[in-house]
Amino acid sequence: MSEKKIRIGFYALTSCYGCQLQFAMMDEILQLIPNAEIVCWYMLERDSKEVEPVDIAFIEGSVSTEEEVELVKEVREKSKIVVAVGACATQGGVQSWTDKPLDELWKTVYGDGKVKFQPRMAKPVEEYIKVDYRLYGCPPEKRDFLYAIGTFLVGSWPEDIDYPVCLECRLRGNTCVLIERGEPCLGPITRAGCDARCPAFNVACIGCRGAIGYDVAWFDSLAKTFKEKGYTKEEIIERMKIFNAHNPKLEEMVNKIFQEVKE
Amino acid sequence: MKNVYLPITVDHIARVEGKGGVEIVVGDDGVKEVKLNIIEGPRFFEAITLGKKLDEALAIYPRICSFCSAAHKLTAVEAAEKAVGFTPREEIQALREVLYIGDMIESHALHLYLLVLPDYMGYSSPLKMVDEYKKEIGIALELKNLGSWMMDELGSRAIHQENAVLGGFGKLPDKSVLEDMKRRLKEALPKAEYTFELFAKLEQYEEVEGPITHIAVKPRNGVYGIYGDYLKASDGMEFPSEEYKEHIKEFVVEHSFAKHSHYHGKPFMVGAISRVVNNADTLYGRAKELYESHKDLLRPTNPFANNLAQALELVYFTERAIDLIDEALAKWPIRPRDEVEIRDGFGVSTTEAPRGVLVYALKVENGRVSYADIITPTAFNFAQMEQHVRMMAEKHYNDDPEKLKLLAEMVVRAYDPCISCSVHVVRL
Repeated sequence: MSEKKIRIGFYALTSCYGCQLQFAMMDEILQLIPNAEIVCWYMLERDSKEVEPVDIAFIEGSVSTEEEVELVKEVREKSKIVVAVGACATQGGVQSWTDKPLDELWKTVYGDGKVKFQPRMAKPVEEYIKVDYRLYGCPPEKRDFLYAIGTFLVGSWPEDIDYPVCLECRLRGNTCVLIERGEPCLGPITRAGCDARCPAFNVACIGCRGAIGYDVAWFDSLAKTFKEKGYTKEEIIERMKIFNAHNPKLEEMVNKIFQEVKE
Repeated sequence: MKNVYLPITVDHIARVEGKGGVEIVVGDDGVKEVKLNIIEGPRFFEAITLGKKLDEALAIYPRICSFCSAAHKLTAVEAAEKAVGFTPREEIQALREVLYIGDMIESHALHLYLLVLPDYMGYSSPLKMVDEYKKEIGIALELKNLGSWMMDELGSRAIHQENAVLGGFGKLPDKSVLEDMKRRLKEALPKAEYTFELFAKLEQYEEVEGPITHIAVKPRNGVYGIYGDYLKASDGMEFPSEEYKEHIKEFVVEHSFAKHSHYHGKPFMVGAISRVVNNADTLYGRAKELYESHKDLLRPTNPFANNLAQALELVYFTERAIDLIDEALAKWPIRPRDEVEIRDGFGVSTTEAPRGVLVYALKVENGRVSYADIITPTAFNFAQMEQHVRMMAEKHYNDDPEKLKLLAEMVVRAYDPCISCSVHVVRL
């Protein structure tokens, strides 16, 4: 690696700021600081510069205003690597969990009130610009950040995860929330990497890391238990939409789970 | 000849949660207008959760804010439990409060050391203070880590806890973890007290000195804390939480995706200083002593006192968590969860989030959310915050604009605003 410090920017769109907070809360960040120059990170740095070139741009949040459309385009132009961070940036976030049109949402919350900024329906960053890498999760795990940054620093490229939460859950030896408790745990169809955090607390997975890829072999095995437990296709789609509202293959995936098994 | 004045603006206030700016418009007669522009996009949380299954709606409410996700989760859960007519056992309530305190400790430590302190020490970022202020940054990390760890153990993680569910917890930690938690809290106490002494020395700017109406939750059972069923104002008024809409009115302003609020037609403040001002008689332990000896600094008339009040609460809640853990341990072993029958109903919960009063009103019909109203502390505070920034601007509009910008930002930071929280407030 060259002597030159790596230039990092952290940009926030509409979000809860949890991805940045997760990043800021890592003690490991103190080891990164001597090797990095924080060009933009408003949450911690008052001298942040939004329009300067960076090596790695982390973008948190969904694109939800006209101003944010311009910002992501600008960040793309000025950055070597763009990383979409968290459920909002990669999947549009929980604010996308709706079929209602924007004007109806607006009327419900703001009534006839007018605001001088222009809102948009929440969308993932990738709808507007090319994204080079994605950190999944709401929020991503600390190790997601460490793995990605560490890999970039040694000049390599991080791998995506293509196995479900179920795998990690079995390895931890948890009682199955879906089979034993009959709760709609999305573990069978959700991307792993969290070490089955919620099922380990007897809480059903809500799929915050997004659906795993369509062609992964695991997909139609345990997932079929949904049907056995009496859940309808509509219920599973509704639950999956919390974090997968913009996934074009969602219906196709759930149809596959609920199709008749040919023996 | 007419003078031309350029507005003094901070487009993006740094070191706060969320995206907002300050605009100060100056004319021949001084400051004409002060606006806090809230440009964070709207997320329509209440509208989105309408018609959704109760447990799934409860899973997404904490996503309103990362700095106080446990506060949102636990307040939403309480509102939902009130709606369906369920009351948790005392020991479950005690442990929920410990989880909430984890959020309080983490949030206060982050705010005081990483967001506020750099202004006073002349730095743009806490990351640049690491060499010069090793001890302070060390304490910040230790307190923050303690709070996050408490949330990891009791909430499943430090951000967006899934373990707090209707009826209790999915799972409770082992007894040994709670014993360990007590030990770590005891060890943290001197550090919390160091924080209080440090912040007691920092300037509270007299430019913004003046009367403020404070509103806080009246503590349940008469012990300073987080939960309560009445709101109490510093003008002496008390009213049941369910009647919040009769006293506090919300309205849309054109320069902000967040609404503003008035209490009986006037701005008001919520937060740590409001809790201390309204409920000091319910403090106990070391925090009570510190309050008595520093009453003049913990005064109701200055928003900067909110920083010191948070430091006082670091001391208080560290001690309080130990007592709450003891209450739970006295009933060990504890069943983590009761089955809750999802009946139709309406419930309001008011709690004290790190930044002040948080209101959740939920209506449940056929197992689904049919009405939701959430008002966050920062939304309550905006009108008062704008007034205080204006007071600061009136004293400094002739000075170097950079100086005024910093002072205006410091006023905003003293409120510890959570802008993400505030941009979805609803009226239905």
